[in-house]
Amino acid sequence: MKHWRDSGRDWLILLALAGWLLALPAYASEFVVSLALTCVMYAALSSSWALFCGATRYLSLATAAFFGVGAYVTALGLEHLSWPLLIALGATAAAALAALMGAAVLHLRGTYFAVLTFGMTELIRHAITYGEKQIAGTVGRVLTTVPEPGTVYLTVLAIAVLALASSIIVRCSRFGLALAGIGADEQRAQTLGVNTRRVKIAGFALTAAFAGATGAAMAVRWTYIDPHTAFNPFIGFQTVLIALIGGAGTLWGPLIAAVVFSLLSETLRLQLPQLYMMVLGLMLILCVLYLPGGLASVRWATVKSWVTR
Amino acid sequence: MGDTMTNAAPLLQADQVTVRFGGLTAVDGVSATFHTGELIGIIGPNGAGKTTFFNAISGVQPLTSGSLSVLGQRLNGRAPHAFSHAGIARSFQTPRIFADMTVADNVRFGLQFAGRRREAPWLLRDETSILALIGLQSLAALPGAAITPSQQRLLEIGMALATRPRLLLLDEVAAGLTEAEVEAMALLIRRLRDELDLCVVWIEHAVSTLLRHVERVLVLHQGRKIADDTPAAVIRHAEVIEAYLGDEMTEVAP
Repeated sequence: MKHWRDSGRDWLILLALAGWLLALPAYASEFVVSLALTCVMYAALSSSWALFCGATRYLSLATAAFFGVGAYVTALGLEHLSWPLLIALGATAAAALAALMGAAVLHLRGTYFAVLTFGMTELIRHAITYGEKQIAGTVGRVLTTVPEPGTVYLTVLAIAVLALASSIIVRCSRFGLALAGIGADEQRAQTLGVNTRRVKIAGFALTAAFAGATGAAMAVRWTYIDPHTAFNPFIGFQTVLIALIGGAGTLWGPLIAAVVFSLLSETLRLQLPQLYMMVLGLMLILCVLYLPGGLASVRWATVKSWVTR
Repeated sequence: MGDTMTNAAPLLQADQVTVRFGGLTAVDGVSATFHTGELIGIIGPNGAGKTTFFNAISGVQPLTSGSLSVLGQRLNGRAPHAFSHAGIARSFQTPRIFADMTVADNVRFGLQFAGRRREAPWLLRDETSILALIGLQSLAALPGAAITPSQQRLLEIGMALATRPRLLLLDEVAAGLTEAEVEAMALLIRRLRDELDLCVVWIEHAVSTLLRHVERVLVLHQGRKIADDTPAAVIRHAEVIEAYLGDEMTEVAP
């Protein structure tokens, strides 16, 4: 467990980044702000994913489910509820879903857990598709009264800052120590007094709340929502890849990788989509082989050892 | 053992504890009573069910049947953390320390969870005093992975002590130690019992080491308890001699 006084530098970095990103729309072009929104969205998703999954080593593929639930909360409530309430409701709905899902599958580890979280995401996607067709008689929803793009950017920025702030706080708390103990040796942590079931469900729900809030905010970027876009499994996979490449056990790794990825995707995906996927794959392989701690674990000593080898 | 001790509410009461794995009965109807201040050994040939019995009474292994209670509170069916909160702490045969955390943080872990709600004995007031007790204070800042296996054994005990237990279960803490280290370990265990008023239950494969240090011995054989007596009586017990084919017992007998 880190002591509070050791987290001062992290708070300063977060504050400086948040301030800079807050000022960005005032002078940057629309393209740059849209690029920044992608960065901030993936930073929020992968940082909050790493908060639970990185520490406990439970590999969840359910981010798309939480994101989609948040998006659907917005799709259903946009005309009736205020914007902050929608975001809060998206977060709550996703956290509640995660608590239920966690109670059902968090006793499983490794591949079983990963596959089941993915399966449940697909189940929810198909259930919503079916429900929309049977009850609402529609395959998708058109969002009409969308807020300004500036509001969306500021909302997602606030969610990302909150996600990173939570990570810093959790790292200094008993809760974070319990998560680290679960990641290192779950049974040993139990015999030392950790109620692992409760800690895991709480951590999973916390992760989901951020993904749900992000989904609720991002939904208005697309004017048309259907289960396929809202529950796009690619969002879940990309979140995991970003966190792993950046360093799921580190605080800033997911953020660094989110920036790298967003830049890559914006510059390469439109012109050369195959190349983009290849770069993604190559980076993952290189990181697994040479940087198991992720991009954030690189120090000068690491680079020197490569050069002198 | 005085009369006062036998009349007091038992610290741990195990009744007909049975653990089955498929067709194999690893622990077969073992009953035992442990009181505060006792130093008890558990011996038995390989596969006798010693570690499974430990797993059962520390909550790590659910019981097939039977019951467990600590100071009158029933615990069977509860998760391991409930056993830990009730005051049962254990070490593992192969040290299971947190390799990435520092030695001090390994000890701090128990203090932050099960140890947090209990009144702290002076010797267990913080991680520094616990490290001093087990003699690892100079290694506090090293990662758990960087210390030797015999130091990791001590750290396991330190982690267990950090939960501020009433009952300490030690699984082969002396295995693989040199003779001098074994003596030091035995002294430490006796000191913990005396100064912290713990009940210590100690499993050891090496019978002669154990019999020299404990006051009461449980002998397990093929999952059943075949003797529960003082070391002097146990080594003359016919069934025990048979279980060990005599050799180790005659070595111990004067």
